[in-house]
Amino acid sequence: MTAASRHDRIASLRVEIDALERLGAPRREALAFGDKRIDALLPGGGLALSCWHEFAGAGLDLETCAASAGLVARLVAPLADRGEMVWVLRRDDLHAPGLAGLGLPAERLIQVCARDEAEVMAVMEDALRTPGVAAVVGEADEADLVAGRRLQLACESGAATGFLLRRRPFGGSARARVSASAAATRWRVAPAPSAPTAADDPGLGPARWQLELERCRGGRTGAWIVEAWEEDDAAYPLRLVAELGDRDVATPLRLAG
Amino acid sequence: MRRLYAVDEAAAALRLYAGQKATDAMALVPELVTADADPAGDAAALAALVHWCVRYSPAVAADAPDGLVMDITGVAHLWGGEATMLDDLLARLASQGIPARAAIAGSVGAAWALARFGRNRTVAETGAEAALLPLLPVAALRLLPADAAQLARLGIARVCQLAQLPRPQVARRFGARVLTRLDQALGRAKEALAFSRPPTPWFTRLAFAEPISAPEDLARVSCDITERLCERLGAEGQGAARFELAFHRLDGRAEVRVVGLSLPGRDARAIARLFAPMLEDVDPGFGIEVVTLAAERVEPTPERQSLLDGDIAPEDGVIPLIDRLANRLGEDRVWRAGAYPSHIPERAVVRRAPFAPDEAQSWSRARPRPVRLLRLPEPIEASALLPDDPPFTFKWRGQVRRVRRAEGPERLAEEWWRRPPGEIGPAHVRDYYRVEDDAGARFWIFRAGLYGGEVTPKWWLHGLG
Repeated sequence: MTAASRHDRIASLRVEIDALERLGAPRREALAFGDKRIDALLPGGGLALSCWHEFAGAGLDLETCAASAGLVARLVAPLADRGEMVWVLRRDDLHAPGLAGLGLPAERLIQVCARDEAEVMAVMEDALRTPGVAAVVGEADEADLVAGRRLQLACESGAATGFLLRRRPFGGSARARVSASAAATRWRVAPAPSAPTAADDPGLGPARWQLELERCRGGRTGAWIVEAWEEDDAAYPLRLVAELGDRDVATPLRLAG
Repeated sequence: MRRLYAVDEAAAALRLYAGQKATDAMALVPELVTADADPAGDAAALAALVHWCVRYSPAVAADAPDGLVMDITGVAHLWGGEATMLDDLLARLASQGIPARAAIAGSVGAAWALARFGRNRTVAETGAEAALLPLLPVAALRLLPADAAQLARLGIARVCQLAQLPRPQVARRFGARVLTRLDQALGRAKEALAFSRPPTPWFTRLAFAEPISAPEDLARVSCDITERLCERLGAEGQGAARFELAFHRLDGRAEVRVVGLSLPGRDARAIARLFAPMLEDVDPGFGIEVVTLAAERVEPTPERQSLLDGDIAPEDGVIPLIDRLANRLGEDRVWRAGAYPSHIPERAVVRRAPFAPDEAQSWSRARPRPVRLLRLPEPIEASALLPDDPPFTFKWRGQVRRVRRAEGPERLAEEWWRRPPGEIGPAHVRDYYRVEDDAGARFWIFRAGLYGGEVTPKWWLHGLG
């Protein structure tokens, strides 16, 4: 068997497996980051739509879910033109003016406050299946394999993209282990020190996040520092500031300076 | 000229009467206490009383200025009989400080007469009104004052005397008025009452020969009855935003389930689907004999046209989703944020119904706000170098954070128009700072009050991100 034919064979098998996994759905669209250094690692050249993605903070952010909510608001904003957006909460502390400041049309966002974890999953699933919904964000402690698989099926039957924010209930115990997940991608989000354009400006620059792609189905992993574009008409929601070799987000970063 | 409008029992015992000149009454009883008449207040109190009386019967009508009529057909057995029901009603009124007289009779006119001129708490058996009424004065027939005075001039004081007069003569002199009143009192003429809750035309019921109780029967019945009402709604081009399904049990109690829609609709299948999860906890008791469905907030709803370009109309996607969620979780758990013109951060956002008419207003992006706003600001220990400086370090939830970058202050004062003048002061000023710690985490903190005042200012954390 020549190298070329083996390559073809592997490629065709990949397509077959892909089709099996997606129940024969056509190739998914993707939300590109606009930078090859991120997009190249993701299958389809960006954050796949009609899938669900998992985002987790670190440390206190796992409880307050502030930095990850900001990042997700940024990612959801381009989807606003495609349909309705639903945000499923456990605690009603989302501040719409803050989301609007990140470019999300927050006055159109449908907010749902669920009573428990299971209900978050049920509402997310219901919303993902609904035609006319473009994006569903949910805040839950964890989606186990069964719940995650159900979310994936819901994404495929509708046209919506799911975003799961891992959020520990206040006072809940820390879960050290990372369990298996059915998400298309799993990200770890931490805030990163911002840098205003003027060097002597003591104020805050555009928000920055340290983004680590921990797991990516059909892709590779990586870590970056990204920044929100200040301009509203930017083609992409985020701008790559630096690529990180160091994958450990827990240690403070000297690189960003 | 001031006249007495109404008198209480003690005054009546002193021979004072309504319509008497106030000066005469004062001369007779120098220590008389009077209050100005308040017909509007009386009417409001009567309306409230009518509403309260719904606990006895759903059909209550106000009888201005000082009475009310209740249709108790078929409800007295719930109270152990008509007499005990009457006692219960009067005892409850007395405990609220409302003196009252009441009677039960087969016609409105007889009950009116007996309550005002008969023995208090008379319960006239069916057909016994004719025996109880004759000795009452003619005023008990709800006559016009002029007619009553004319009858008195003719020497006719009691109902029996009036009843003995030849009817044509009475009719010639007084018109049909007096005879109608007499007939109404004796139950010979019909009388219409304006009950305070008009029956809705959008109501349907299903009765069963055999009581039902199986869950699948309830589900089927709720589908059938919804279809029936929605067909009628559709025929008249109407839709309703609220449906009330009641299962009436054999023991007289009702299990009621309510479904609300964000937009008026008449899709029977969708409405039945919203009812389905609510039927699980319906307790059928010994069986359900009647099911009723009432539609509320009915308004003209045009037939919808499907979109040609294949787009999904909200009516097919999001609106049913909102309805499902609002009925399952509660209406207050599904909302859209709306901008409210206030600079106070807590008040800048209001909850709107997901499909409330849009007020295309958004928040100003000139002033950055956090992504998360704590419902109550949390106290932090902060240290600043100078009075107007942001803190260089603060402690929140047991963690010390070093401030690397800061923006501010943004001074927010209270809304002065909400307080009486004189109470406004620097104590209610908040200086907000956006700060970023070493790791890049962002906080929205504020100092309440100013330095140099009597109270040392305190630092609070209000938002994150």
